Amino acid sequence: MFYNKILFATTASPTCDNAAKVAFDMAAKYEAELIVFHVLGIPSRGFSTQVQDVKTGELEEMYDENYTALVKEEIKGYYNGLSDGVDKLKIEVTAGIPYTEILRLARKEGVDLIIMGSHSTDEDVTSTRYRGTAGSTMRKVAKRARCPVAIISRPCTTCWKLFSNIVFATDFSKAADSAFQYAYKSAQAVGARLYLFHSYDLSASYAGGHAPTQGEIEAKVKEAQDKMQSKYIRKMSDYDNYEVAIWEGTPYVEILKYARDKQADLIVLAHHTREYADPEEAVMGSTVEQVVLRSPCPVTSVNHPDMVENK
Amino acid sequence: MPEGTVCNKKTIDTKEQLDALLADKSGKVYYEEMKSLDVNVDMLKTALKNTLRSRLKTWLEMCAHCGLCADSCFLYLVNKRDPKQVPSYKIQSTLGALVKKVQKGEEITNEFMHYCMDTAWSKCTCCNRCGSYCPYGIDMGIMFGYLRGLLFAQGFVPWELKIGSGMHRVFRAQMDVTNEDWVETCEWMEEEQQDEWPDLKIPVDKEGADIMYTVNAREPKHYPEDIAEAAILFHIAGENWTMPSTGWEQTSLSMFAGDWGACKMQVETVYEAIDRLKPKRAMGTECGHAHRATVVEGPYWVGRKNGQPPVEYIHYVQWVAEALREGKIKIDPDKRIQEPVTYQDSCNYIRNHGMADIVREIMGYMVAPGYFVEMTPNREHNYCCGGGGGFNGMGKYRPQRNVALKCKRDQILATGCKLVVSPCHNCWDAIRDLEEEYEIGIRWSFLKPLLIKMAIIPEHLKPKDE
Ligand code: SF4
Ligand code: SF4
Repeated sequence: MFYNKILFATTASPTCDNAAKVAFDMAAKYEAELIVFHVLGIPSRGFSTQVQDVKTGELEEMYDENYTALVKEEIKGYYNGLSDGVDKLKIEVTAGIPYTEILRLARKEGVDLIIMGSHSTDEDVTSTRYRGTAGSTMRKVAKRARCPVAIISRPCTTCWKLFSNIVFATDFSKAADSAFQYAYKSAQAVGARLYLFHSYDLSASYAGGHAPTQGEIEAKVKEAQDKMQSKYIRKMSDYDNYEVAIWEGTPYVEILKYARDKQADLIVLAHHTREYADPEEAVMGSTVEQVVLRSPCPVTSVNHPDMVENK
Repeated sequence: MPEGTVCNKKTIDTKEQLDALLADKSGKVYYEEMKSLDVNVDMLKTALKNTLRSRLKTWLEMCAHCGLCADSCFLYLVNKRDPKQVPSYKIQSTLGALVKKVQKGEEITNEFMHYCMDTAWSKCTCCNRCGSYCPYGIDMGIMFGYLRGLLFAQGFVPWELKIGSGMHRVFRAQMDVTNEDWVETCEWMEEEQQDEWPDLKIPVDKEGADIMYTVNAREPKHYPEDIAEAAILFHIAGENWTMPSTGWEQTSLSMFAGDWGACKMQVETVYEAIDRLKPKRAMGTECGHAHRATVVEGPYWVGRKNGQPPVEYIHYVQWVAEALREGKIKIDPDKRIQEPVTYQDSCNYIRNHGMADIVREIMGYMVAPGYFVEMTPNREHNYCCGGGGGFNGMGKYRPQRNVALKCKRDQILATGCKLVVSPCHNCWDAIRDLEEEYEIGIRWSFLKPLLIKMAIIPEHLKPKDE
C-alpha cells in the first residue's frame, strides 16, 4: 500500500488535532502530497452571498477573498509545528456543505486517502437543523468516497508504518471486498498481523421477532467461516500472518471488544452499500459510526475498489 | 457623484464587473453610492409610456381604497396591522405616486426612489394573494413586479439581486456554475450511484428524449445529491430522459431583480436547449419560481405569440403525480409517512398555476391515512412562506424577512406537525431559516428523498452482488 496524494479534511480546531498528526506523519513517511482542506462556511439564507462561519456561527461573505486568505494563513500557522518533512503541502478552503466539498475535491484531485477527525455530531452543523436530515459529515464522506477514508478521533501513538495489528471487520458485502483488499495490502506493506473478523448480528435476528436457536447460530457461524475462506483467505496467496474470528452479538460492540483484545492499531471496515434507501436504519452504516466514536485506534472505511486495486 | 462605481444604472455583463460587485462586502459601498444616485426622469417617462400597460393604469386608477385587501396580505398581518403595510397603500404610495409625479413633472427625489426600493423588495414578496381578495382583482404582486423593473433600470435594486441578475448574464445561472462544472457534477453523481444503482445513467444532451429535465443552480453548486435523487427516481420509473449541457438552469433571480433583459437571456438558453434536443416534454425541478420564470412568464419575455414554451413544460409535482398514478413508481404502503405531516403550498405553482389538487393526490399516495394535516389557510389561499420574491437572500432586509417568517411559523405550529413537505427551493429555505430563527423543532423535506425512501425498487434494478 502506498499513497501519492492525501486529503486531510479538517475543521481546523482541536477536534482534528489527532487526525492532523497522522495526516502529516503519513504524508512525510510516504512522501505524498498533502492537501489540507477546510470548509469554512455553510451556505445560508437562500441565494444570498453569505455563509455561516463553521466556527463562530456568524454570517460571512462567501466571496470575500481577504477573509479566505486570512483563514488559509491561520490554518498554515495552526499546523506549522507538524509540517516539517512534508514537501508538497497545499491548503485549500472553500464555502459549501462540508461533505459535498470534501467529496468533490477528493474526486477532482484523485486522492488515494482521505483523513479526517470524527467531527462529532453536536458541532456538525450539517447534521440536524441544517438540511433537515440527519447524518454527519463523517458518515457521508465514509459512505460515498471512492478512496479509503481514515477517521482518527484519539491520539495515535504508533506511526502508521509501524502498525503491527490490523483488524478487518466484514459483513461480507461487496464493499467489504475492497475493504479487505485495503486491509490485506496494508498488512503486507508494513508486515502487520491481519485479523479477519465477523460478528454474526444477533440483535438483527432478535429484531426479526424470534431468538435464534443454538443450531441456527452454529449454522450461521459455519456459513461465515466458509465465506472467510472463499472471499478472503484464498486470495492471500502465501501470506500466513493472519487469524480468523467469528463472534456473535451486536457488530459494533463485538468489533470494539475484539480490537481491544488484539491491541489493534487499525480497524478496517466497509459501509453497508444499501444505505441510500434508509440511512437511519442501515446496520453497517451506523456500525462504522459507533466504532469510530469509541475506537481507541484509527478506523478506515473502504467501500470502493478504485483507489485500492493498483496500490 | 450621480453614477457610482458599483452602484449605477449599468447591467452586469462581465465577470470583472461581477467580481467588483462581490468584492464590495455586503454592498457597503454600493448602498453608500446609491444615496447620491441620480434619477433619469426622461428614461422613466419613456419606460412608463412604452410599458405601463392599460391594465396596470386602470388598476391604479380604479382602486377604491376600500382596504379589503389589507387582511389578505401576510406582511400586513405579521406587522401588527401597520397601515403602511396595506397592499393598496404600498402600491399607491410608490408606483401610483411615481406615475403621478412623472405626469405632473414633479421632482423625483433620491429619497423617494429609496422608499420605492424598500417597499418593492421588503414589503411585498409578489405572492399575488391580495389579487384574489380585491373586488376588482387588483394584484399588487404584479404591479410590484412591474415597479421592480422600473427601479432596476434606474439602479435602485438591492445588492444581492444586482449580483443575481449579473450571474444570469455572465453564467446563465443564478450562481457561478459554468457549463463545465455542471456536466462534471452530473458525471460525478452518476459515478457515485454505481454501487447501489448499477445501470443508472445521467444522460446529458440526448436528443429526442421523452423528458428534458432542468434544475436550480444551487443543486450543482451545493446539493448535488438533488440531481442524483432526480436521476434515481427517473431510473426507478424507467423514464427516457436527459439534461442539457447548456440551458440547464431554470431559475431566474433576474425576475426577482426586475432585470427583464437578463430574464429573456436566461429563458432563451433553456428554450434553445429544447430546440436543440427536441424532447417530447420538458420538466423542472421542485422549484416554484423557476416554474413561474420558465413556464408561465418566460414565453412572454421572449415574445412567443402563443404564450407557451416550445414544448409542454411541466412542474416536478405534475410528473410525480403522473408516475404514481400510472404505477411507474410504486409506494410500499408500510413505508408511507406515519406521523402528522403538512404541506407548504408554493405561491408560484399552487396559487398561480393551479396545482393544488395534484399535490394532494401525491400526498394521498405518500402519507398513510389520517396523518395528512392541512395548514390554515391552504391551497390557493395559502400564505407566502415568508421568503418569496427574493426576500430570503437580501441582507439589507433580513430583519423584515425574519418578521415575515412568523406567519408560516404560526401556521405550521397550529397544525401540530413536525414534518413539512416543501417542494420549492424558496419555501424550503424559508422554512429552514425559520427553524433556525425560532427553533420550533420541525423537519422539512423535498419530495425526492421521501419518495426514494418509500418506493418499491423493481428487482431488476437492484445490485446483483451479495
Ligand atoms: S381591495 Fe382592491 S380596491 Fe380595495 S383597497 Fe385593496 S386594491 Fe384597492
Ligand atoms: S402580493 Fe402578497 S406580499 Fe405583496 S402586497 Fe399582495 S399579499 Fe402582500
